[in-house]
Amino acid sequence: MENRPLEYDYTVAKMFMFTTIVLGIVGMLVGVILAFQLAYPGMNLFLGEGLAEYTNFSRLRPLHTDAVVFGFTLSGIFATWYYVGQRVLKVSMAESGFLMFIGKLHFWLYLVGVAAVVVSLLMGITTSKEYAEFEWPIDIAIVIVWVLFGMSIFGLIGIRREKSLYISVWYYIACFLGIAMLYLFNNMAIPTMLGTAADGASGIGAWYHSVSMYAGTNDALVQWWYGHNAVAFGFTVPIVAMIYYFLPKESGQAIYSYKLSLLSFWGLMFVYLWAGGHHLLFSTVPDWVQTMGSVFSVILILPSWGSAINMLLTMKGEWQQVASSPLIKFMVLGSTFYMFSTLEGPIQAIKSVNAIAHFTDWIVGHVHDGTLGWVGFMIMAALFHMAPRVFKREIYSKSLMVTQFWIQTLGVVLYFTSMWIAGITQGMMWRAHDEFGNLAYSFIDTVTVLHPYYTIRGIGGLLYFVGFLMFAYNIYKTMSARPVEESELQNASPMGA
Amino acid sequence: MSIAEYQAYGYFALTVFLVIVLYSYIYHLYSTDKKEGGHDYESYSNIALKDDIDDTPVTSMSDDKEK
Amino acid sequence: MFHWLEKHPFFFAVAVFVTIAFAGLIEILPNFAQQSRPVIGTAPYSTLELAGRHVYIKNSCNACHSQLIRPFKSETDRYGHYSLSGEYAYDRPFLWGSKRTGPDLMRVGNYRTTDWHENHMKNPAAVVPGSIMPAYTWMFTNKADIDTAFAEQLTIAQFFSVPYNKPVPMKDGSTKIVKMGGSVAEANALALAEAKIIAADMKDQDVKDAVANGEIPEIVAIIAYMNSLK
Repeated sequence: MENRPLEYDYTVAKMFMFTTIVLGIVGMLVGVILAFQLAYPGMNLFLGEGLAEYTNFSRLRPLHTDAVVFGFTLSGIFATWYYVGQRVLKVSMAESGFLMFIGKLHFWLYLVGVAAVVVSLLMGITTSKEYAEFEWPIDIAIVIVWVLFGMSIFGLIGIRREKSLYISVWYYIACFLGIAMLYLFNNMAIPTMLGTAADGASGIGAWYHSVSMYAGTNDALVQWWYGHNAVAFGFTVPIVAMIYYFLPKESGQAIYSYKLSLLSFWGLMFVYLWAGGHHLLFSTVPDWVQTMGSVFSVILILPSWGSAINMLLTMKGEWQQVASSPLIKFMVLGSTFYMFSTLEGPIQAIKSVNAIAHFTDWIVGHVHDGTLGWVGFMIMAALFHMAPRVFKREIYSKSLMVTQFWIQTLGVVLYFTSMWIAGITQGMMWRAHDEFGNLAYSFIDTVTVLHPYYTIRGIGGLLYFVGFLMFAYNIYKTMSARPVEESELQNASPMGA
Repeated sequence: MSIAEYQAYGYFALTVFLVIVLYSYIYHLYSTDKKEGGHDYESYSNIALKDDIDDTPVTSMSDDKEK
Repeated sequence: MFHWLEKHPFFFAVAVFVTIAFAGLIEILPNFAQQSRPVIGTAPYSTLELAGRHVYIKNSCNACHSQLIRPFKSETDRYGHYSLSGEYAYDRPFLWGSKRTGPDLMRVGNYRTTDWHENHMKNPAAVVPGSIMPAYTWMFTNKADIDTAFAEQLTIAQFFSVPYNKPVPMKDGSTKIVKMGGSVAEANALALAEAKIIAADMKDQDVKDAVANGEIPEIVAIIAYMNSLK
């Protein structure tokens, strides 16, 4: 073998970039279909009566959430880890055959898991717990995938040249640990094939079926401790990891205050886990847990904004880059949406606001300004930054990026404004009484009134989806665009017209 | 003592402990770069900015071993 | 000390883990025993009801319907008494839901009938004009999985001491015994007996014929489940 200089090896990163895009398309397409099913119920039959069981809203809904959470977002996290991890630790995966093997195994097992999830959810095999719908055989596969992820994180750290761990690595470690703990505890279940009948028969019924270790209120408590923090350690922590690397790198600016980033990290770690109780306000969980959830949700603004402001200030003196580079636009708008949704969340967690907001579309709106505006924008920006370095080619089209940016921004704005109005309208109508103290509206009144907002939301989602297709096309064309020199890749990504 | 009381004491003690740790951490962060033999935390930003494989690490593994 | 932690990934990871695990430990563990005690009047699900609950889960009804009545006048007016922790003692998993695209179903058995559900599941908009709920026509032909429901009963009786075949106190001072079969055949017979009562109130001839032939369509099971929600 010839003696080539050592280079970073992006094989695994490329694989996960591929699934990020494919699963993003799947998840968002299903999301758009769902949105129009709510506006136009006839859409439930879009593949005909015969397939209605597999195309109706309720069967597709978990598929949407899981495809974007465990498909798009998780792939994005893995893709960026296999890129950022090597660079900030200054060690190449090519240096360790073992880590390379783990990385590839990680990818292929992940792909098998994804296929199993899609099939089982379409068949209606689900535990019903949100973002933890998978039955135990898939859970075991997920645990293995996660352990492989951990091995690759700590393996790479083990052979690093850079002694200090960059802040992004902190966040990746936290993501790994947090999800591992939450997922394991929330999915504790007993397979029903262990049940033995009085006549000695066992292994009765579906082999994959299981029953939760927790009942009723306890189950709810564990589920929302998980559900809330899966958002924390899946949608916040690793995405912050991304922006702490990609924004400084792309803009060439050092982080405004590295110390602040460290402080925010520990603040976030400590506060986030307490806030899960806010999903269960006015339910049957103990009152003090609810209050604690509410209070800590408000405190959570501090570390969240610490990170977000740090990012915005990183651009200090370099704001012209926001105007000139669409890639910076994505990241700056992303951190703005992060500030926005971390302010909105605590507001919704205040008890009196929650009384109106809970169970309504306002919550759906909140989730989506976080996921579309923050998670989606940041992952796409990360991939845009990685593409020229991974393929050694310039980004195919800058103008396509700019168009995509504005289409998607419009989509997000339509999405959350319509859901705000829908949520507050419905929340107020549910509680309205007439002059005699009777309920003013029947339930169906509060549904039909939402039709225009559901339609607007559908259009907003569709715009975002169209933008995502443009992103996919742009990355695809990048693979055969003009080759670039190493020197062009230092900071701002090279882009074609 | 009931379990709820243990819970309350445990919660209070650990929260106080973590608050103390957090504040001493802030103190540590801002005092260390002035001290002799301290570390300049802001220089760690360069881990991301100078991250080519042949760039010199900000704090090298091998440096440490020599000391 | 801090700087040392930042350069030692293993101990760093331990510190992160302790910080994040602490909240869960304090919040969740101590409340466990207390909240799992059933209130009087709460009985375990029968085989058919449990099979119906599985149909409910299979079709993610909980994506649009909550089962949690909050203590507000507007909610108790609309849905009945607010929810109590002990009422969920036999709910594995819980089905509170997080979104009310449709109304709450915690006590739907108090004000909807078998007949209403049958028509509604076939064509929701015909029963409630303006409804955006899809029709669930396949429930009339798919067969409910009684075996799995039975396996779940066995499992929860074995591992969580759910009182099957034992007297359970009711609100009026009487007791009720929820039967669980001793074998697969017996469990199916119990479920079928229950299904016949439901089918008698239904109009769909195919469903009636199926039950007469010893089969249980999903619709019968899910109606049994919803009728049990009180």
